[in-house]
Amino acid sequence: MIVIQNAIDAISLGAVYALAALGIGLIFSIMRLINFAHGELIMVGGFTLYALAGQPYLVMGLAAILVAAILALGLERVAFRPLRKASPATLLISSFAVSYLLQHVMLMIFGSRPMGVDFLPQLGDAVELGPLRVPELQLAAIVVTVISMTGLALFFRRSRIGVEMRAAAEDFTMARLLGVRANRVIAAAFVISGVLASMVSLYLVAQTGTVSYKMGVNMVLIAFVASVIGGMGSLVGAALGGFLVGIVSVSLQAYLPVDLRPYRDAFVFLAFIAFLLWRPQGLMTRRADMERV
Amino acid sequence: MLSVKDLHVSYGNIVALRGVSLELAKGEIVAVIGPNGAGKSTLLLTIAGVVRAKHGEVRLGESSILGIAPEVLASHGIALVPEGRHIFGSLTVAENIALGATTRRDRQAIAADVERALDMFPILRERYRQRAGKLSGGEQQMLAIARALLARPKLLLLDEPSLGLAPLVVRQVYEAIFELKRQGITILVVEQSVHRAVAAADRTYVVNSGQVAISGRSADLHGTAAFDAAYFGAASGAGER
Repeated sequence: MIVIQNAIDAISLGAVYALAALGIGLIFSIMRLINFAHGELIMVGGFTLYALAGQPYLVMGLAAILVAAILALGLERVAFRPLRKASPATLLISSFAVSYLLQHVMLMIFGSRPMGVDFLPQLGDAVELGPLRVPELQLAAIVVTVISMTGLALFFRRSRIGVEMRAAAEDFTMARLLGVRANRVIAAAFVISGVLASMVSLYLVAQTGTVSYKMGVNMVLIAFVASVIGGMGSLVGAALGGFLVGIVSVSLQAYLPVDLRPYRDAFVFLAFIAFLLWRPQGLMTRRADMERV
Repeated sequence: MLSVKDLHVSYGNIVALRGVSLELAKGEIVAVIGPNGAGKSTLLLTIAGVVRAKHGEVRLGESSILGIAPEVLASHGIALVPEGRHIFGSLTVAENIALGATTRRDRQAIAADVERALDMFPILRERYRQRAGKLSGGEQQMLAIARALLARPKLLLLDEPSLGLAPLVVRQVYEAIFELKRQGITILVVEQSVHRAVAAADRTYVVNSGQVAISGRSADLHGTAAFDAAYFGAASGAGER
């Protein structure tokens, strides 16, 4: 029974990581930008919930999604569009700069101490499924991720701009030669990444009940690792990578000797270093990336 | 239709084009041939807006188009089928073809054009729902041309359409090119395969080391000593015939 309990834990954690990794992977696939400021989109979503504390949860949640999407769009316009023809290294440095800037703006305004937010505390209750007790938050994370991914899959397959985004992710120059508007596709990708980031913030705030200016940092690091494991540039890979990181983390937490559990993250990263030595291109690899390698 | 004057293009310190000029009349097929590294693909990429020119002039009709972004040029009626096809391998054949009509909004006409493209390349109809990455090289070339046609281009730029294809497939591709000419599309084709390109084109430009070494009516040029000299690098003494 404990195995099933652990599996549910792993899937729900992996679902959240997958949402975060999709946000990183989507921007990378189109722009070759590893957007470390994605963590600050998560953070701003959290602070929106804090700012609207006391309002109906639906209003808080929708506002967090809206603010993160608008901020993502603004970052693209102000920080990344002028650098679009720059090297990936320049874009990376720019994303670090944006990340630190946003963190420290929030630090100046709200200070360094985590602040409490009451957001969907009832999700802390557990549902009894036979002999299992599963926190509602975990079920919510799984359900929200499945809905989001299904929605994304439909968007990418059925909508005109979704197909354009897939084409741009595979061969941006060729897509432009066919008339795909670079600004439109990239802006859409940033909006989607903002929405995905805000969903992660909803989860984190509901789980911890706090917000802080560094709340997105750890998550973006895990999301980056997940998208590398999945294969940079592959959206399916990013999602799979997220689930894999979640499964490995929970498994190690459950099965490592008690004395070693405080060092779980070190073992997680060690496992992924070994994985990348075996398969440096990640789980899923696009042909274009293979050629570049 | 298309006028290129004194086009200079460099990649850093490497000069790719040194003052290339050429003209295309409406409905013509013009071939640009030359050895590997002569600057042929750079010429097409510059016309299509992918590569920036140092200086020179490119006009489509009366409009100057140099420096305009590729996605805008696509809506002006320029379509490029690049070397190596560049089909979207993870997308289906249907999605690839549909992307050719990105700049259009006339749904019924698009559907009719898809049918026409599938009639021109029946194998694509059989593969319509398959991922394009699963197609053979020849099928991918047909897909790349079909995709370009969906834009209803005024000017079609073809970069090495026969490269790496079996002779039978090359013949099919060139039959399609002749059909497009009959439909009134102006075509600029870049080839290393001299005989195929010269046989198909009304006029030919031989490019060597980033310069036009010789140009003229294909029938007049082919097989002459000046043509061979231009192609194989002895550009001196070559000129318009």
